[in-house]
Amino acid sequence: MNAISDAVLRAFALLFTGDPDLWRIVWVSVKTSIVGLLLATPPAILIGYVVAMRRFAGRRIVIWLAQAALSLPTVLVGLVLYLLLSRHGPLGGLQWLFSQSGIVLGQCVVALPVLLAFTLAAVQGLDPRYAETAIALGAAPLQVMVRVLHEARFGVMAAVLSGFGRVISEVGCALMVGGNIEGETRTITTAIALETSKGEFAQGIALGIVLVSIALLMNGALMLLQGDAHTVRERA
Amino acid sequence: MSIGIHSQITAAVFENANAPQRDERRKALLGVRGLRKRHGDRLLFDIDVLDIATHSAYVLTGMNGAGKSTLLRVLGGLERAEIDSLRFAGEDVLRVHPYPRALRRAIVYVHQHPILFSTSVADNIGYGLAVRGESPAAVRPVVAAAMAWAGVAHLRDTDPTKLSGGEKQRVALARAKVLQPRLLLLDEPTSNLDGAAREQVIALIPTMVEAGSSIVIACHDRDLINLHGVQRLKLRDGHLEYR
Repeated sequence: MNAISDAVLRAFALLFTGDPDLWRIVWVSVKTSIVGLLLATPPAILIGYVVAMRRFAGRRIVIWLAQAALSLPTVLVGLVLYLLLSRHGPLGGLQWLFSQSGIVLGQCVVALPVLLAFTLAAVQGLDPRYAETAIALGAAPLQVMVRVLHEARFGVMAAVLSGFGRVISEVGCALMVGGNIEGETRTITTAIALETSKGEFAQGIALGIVLVSIALLMNGALMLLQGDAHTVRERA
Repeated sequence: MSIGIHSQITAAVFENANAPQRDERRKALLGVRGLRKRHGDRLLFDIDVLDIATHSAYVLTGMNGAGKSTLLRVLGGLERAEIDSLRFAGEDVLRVHPYPRALRRAIVYVHQHPILFSTSVADNIGYGLAVRGESPAAVRPVVAAAMAWAGVAHLRDTDPTKLSGGEKQRVALARAKVLQPRLLLLDEPTSNLDGAAREQVIALIPTMVEAGSSIVIACHDRDLINLHGVQRLKLRDGHLEYR
């Protein structure tokens, strides 16, 4: 019991004394997650919109794959990317293995199905009269898309927040592709796994507190958005 | 004002609105040949000839499920159907799925329950002009005039979700009017409205014909069906009857 309370106290000390190693890890995590998310968001939203709005051969297969990819273990994504980025892999020339670029690529791949599936659900759930009205008023296809995504913005924002939550909390892909190199590719989750395996709990607990804080912030923002959306729907 | 008196006034306006039509000997606006719509194996309608003239108003009647709304949606380019040929304003339309942009922008369809975008009433009314690339400075006075016409000027910055059914319908009509459509398709514009809201909407319709649009109104509303100067179409057993 004393060991746990001691670790917790040291964890708070690390947090509040501005331990540079700890905050560098947080920075690497946040940076790679945000960049990966920014890269994944435009294509995922575009694909999600097109799949939701258009009828084409193989559409159901795309939806099935997107939804199945939600439950894809990130460690498997990491394995595939490891093979692709390794020296003899087809993308080996990029030299992204064990680099932040590799982690960003992994975060992008991990976030994409979440963003796509949530955007798809948000657009599919929207009243089709929004798109029809825009078309009937003479909007071009791109203008219709902008209008529809604006009307589905709460769902799309929820998709982005969920995607961020997924990438910042995943460990498998970041560990395999990043390699957990101190000061370079060590992220919150890989650091927690490493420190715990060494029996050093203080930094792990401190990073866990940061991760939980980020999760609370993300979910708080999501709740605020959903609360607003619910109010609008009730009034409508 | 009672509904009966109101109908007489509206009828007079409609007759005036149709005066140009008589002068121009009913120039053809839209001509469709061989229009068929199927829902699966079921043939919803099979229309040999559908002609809409310029500066004219039509009511489209029929039993529930006859396909009135579907026909309007097809004409509005929102739903696919088999079409042998389509002429609009004297030009053959070779591609009907989707409509070419010029045709798309000449026809405006208004839903039975219009949906307003989650922006201000003014922005809703100006939307069609904005997507046509009109500058905000050019849109502003047109929108202001349309809001005055529809009696919704006081709702300019109101959240559309707070509007009543009648107000929404009038905003939707104003949103269509600013585009000066050659053909306006109204799906049951007075359904679910009663009293003053219904009369206000009925009063707006003939002024749109007066402004130069042809209008096809799918409806069950006796006051609209019985208006003088309005031509009657009926969908019965999948065929279109001119009455």
